[in-house]
Amino acid sequence: MNKATKKWLFMKASSVVLIPLMAWFILNLVSVFDKDYVDIIGFFSNQTSKILVSLLLVIAYFFSALSISEIFEDYIQDEKIKNVANKVLNIFAIITPLITIIIIFNLNT
Amino acid sequence: MKNNNPLSPHIQIYRWNISSLVSISHRITGIINIVALTVICFWIASLLLGENSYEFTKIFLNSILGKLIILGLTWSFSFQILSEIRHLIMDLGYGFELKVTKITGLIVIIGSFVMTVLIYLI
Repeated sequence: MNKATKKWLFMKASSVVLIPLMAWFILNLVSVFDKDYVDIIGFFSNQTSKILVSLLLVIAYFFSALSISEIFEDYIQDEKIKNVANKVLNIFAIITPLITIIIIFNLNT
Repeated sequence: MKNNNPLSPHIQIYRWNISSLVSISHRITGIINIVALTVICFWIASLLLGENSYEFTKIFLNSILGKLIILGLTWSFSFQILSEIRHLIMDLGYGFELKVTKITGLIVIIGSFVMTVLIYLI
């Protein structure tokens, strides 16, 4: 299996998981965003929310990194610039969800 | 190192139709969503600062601008969900006929607004 096929399969597999997670997240976000601090902490401290938000972040950033690298492929011709852009993108896609997940698992009511 | 692969044509070159509108909007909403998720990550991190520090964020989120941003985000997520389902169906080999692509494109556009309203009603 070549690299492009593997990338396409990863994108499709992650999008299948991402669709219900996005639907769940946006439904919950709309119901909690304007609430009090205690209610929001309560939402993120719930075990189900912790797991689903963490899963959403990991898969959303993974999917985005793959998708944005496709945009780089389409519009950046210089290989050197493209490689740097992809490296920055990948570091961002690993660090942001990782730090947020650590924070979520340290939030207590 | 110079790559001689051709680049994708820029968007001004296309004649606008429903399929190109959905395709370009899919990319734009994808970028909006990941930027929004990053802001949400900062929002979650701000919770660590405690209840008193959260007061300003709460006032902003309860303002008209805050509510409009969440409304826009709901539409953007709804669009991405429906458009992604359309992509998956096409990946299975269905819906490539011109008439069908127009219909499914319209379903994505109209459906995203309907879904936004439904999410707010639920």
